[in-house]
Amino acid sequence: MSVRALPRAAARVLLLPAALIALWWWAAAASDSFYLTDPGTIAATFAQVWVSERFAADVLPSVGLLLTGYALAAALGIGMGVPLGLSPRLRAFAEPVLEFLRAVPPPVLVPLLILLVGLDASMRAAVIVSGCVWPVLLNTVEGVRAVDPVLADTCRVYGVRGRRRLTVLVLRSASPQIAAGLRQALSIAIILMVISEMFASSSGLGFAIVQFQRGFAIPEMWSGIVLLGLLGVVLSVVFARAERRALAWHRGLRAASRGE
Amino acid sequence: MLDVNGLRKTYRGQGREVEAVRDLTFGLGEGELACLVGPSGCGKTTLLKCVSGLMRPTAGTVALDGRPVDGPPPDMAVVFQEYGRSLFPWLTVRGNVELPLKEKRLPKARRRELVEESLEAVGLAHAASLHPWELSGGMQQRVAIARAIAYEPRVLLMDEPFAAVDAQTRADLEDLIRGLWKRFSMTVLFVTHDIDEAVYLGERVIVLSSSPTVVQDDVRVDLPEERDQLTTRSAPRFAELRALVYREIQNAKNGDGGAGRTGAAGGPAGTDGPDREPTATGGAR
Ligand SMILES: Nc1ncnc2c1ncn2[C@@H]1O[C@H](COP(=O)(O)OP(=O)(O)OP(=O)(O)O)[C@@H](O)[C@H]1O
Ligand SMILES: [Mg+2]
Repeated sequence: MSVRALPRAAARVLLLPAALIALWWWAAAASDSFYLTDPGTIAATFAQVWVSERFAADVLPSVGLLLTGYALAAALGIGMGVPLGLSPRLRAFAEPVLEFLRAVPPPVLVPLLILLVGLDASMRAAVIVSGCVWPVLLNTVEGVRAVDPVLADTCRVYGVRGRRRLTVLVLRSASPQIAAGLRQALSIAIILMVISEMFASSSGLGFAIVQFQRGFAIPEMWSGIVLLGLLGVVLSVVFARAERRALAWHRGLRAASRGE
Repeated sequence: MLDVNGLRKTYRGQGREVEAVRDLTFGLGEGELACLVGPSGCGKTTLLKCVSGLMRPTAGTVALDGRPVDGPPPDMAVVFQEYGRSLFPWLTVRGNVELPLKEKRLPKARRRELVEESLEAVGLAHAASLHPWELSGGMQQRVAIARAIAYEPRVLLMDEPFAAVDAQTRADLEDLIRGLWKRFSMTVLFVTHDIDEAVYLGERVIVLSSSPTVVQDDVRVDLPEERDQLTTRSAPRFAELRALVYREIQNAKNGDGGAGRTGAAGGPAGTDGPDREPTATGGAR
């Protein structure tokens, strides 16, 4: 991209958000609803509310919770997905149960987990894990099952087995699919983090938003929603970066087979 | 050294049965270089998979050094027909060649030496840090060959390894294989479609019939051991052998001769042609 093209690219990216904010502004000005706050007020409130000790009290624990639950779900999903993908017998054995558990919507587990685990952070992490583990698990199983038989034969011929087979063949060839599962799980993790904090917490982003809403602190409530949106954007950008690095070979392979 | 006895393979699937190989018996002596030719779909790949222990035969046995093969034996290398799919796309060319050596627990310096030597031998020293998908089909095939020879196998199985390379590279690779074979006294079983290549390369050409597959003929190539692309290929004996193999393949396609010679691989059959050598199992036990 040349230097001259830069402003044009920035304009392309920012045009739609700017238009939407303008529309919102106009709608807020035209309406006399108490609940529709204009973007200017939200921005001012945002700085006031979140650039304060609230950041350490509510935002950081939320992000910590999110990452803990997500990491646990990733480890669990990959850890269980690999043996399930490798063994048809294990798969036949576990499949009905997995299908059932996957069909249960994770938020309904919140009341149950409050009873079982209690009201603390481990319960909220458990909610996140219970929802995020499925896309990771199912994608890992599919990815591991799809290992190219010629590569598997190559490993057998050259005596590549055990841990090296797992890392060089199985995990690597399943990695594009595992990444797809992890990406789905990330958005689920954010949703479940907020829900679990709304239901059962005395701190955190979800808790703060509900509190503002109950206290009719409407601009503050809106600013919390905006913060959640920003958090989602940042996480998905970080994820995309990591994926680009780890799966560079996959993009190259796909481009090569498309004849580019 | 390598004995294939009464090998049969029937594929089962979706209520259909495909008899890929009916009854194959032949042996390879230690250090022998044999080429396997046969019409497309006659079961050459199937045979190679059974020999390498990747697949269980339906009946019959494969034995290496007298021991039955029931899994890939150590120090056997295979170059697969699907060479492109046999390379790890997430490893570089160097990584692909080095991987089996790591599993062999060779020290790092030795691994590096072998990788460099073998890539040099196939003319890919400059491509060591590229990924397989950045290479042409012929280059990928040469990586697969480099990986096999870096492994320093005692037995080398190759399934149409030169199918995707140009004529010049192909000639170079043929000489490379013969050179390596002599240097390391490997036992080589080389599958090809190309009759000229089979005669030029092999000490022996095993001709398979079309399905139902048996050994159609087993021709000893009595060309001098020192071969040269120009003089060997223009020698009268080369032309005779090539005509002989060609005729056998024609017979195989028309379905004659195969049945009469089913058991011929082991015995002195095929005495009906003036230029036919007595079929022999080439020093096999
Ligand atoms: N996995 C399989 N399932 C069912 N049938 C198979 C399978 N693999 C091969 N066959 C059949 O077995 C026969 C022999 O196949 P094989 O691949 O061994 O032939 P080939 O001699 O290597 O052919 P080519 O020269 O074209 O590579 C064919 O008729 C093929 O359709
Ligand atoms: Mg084949």
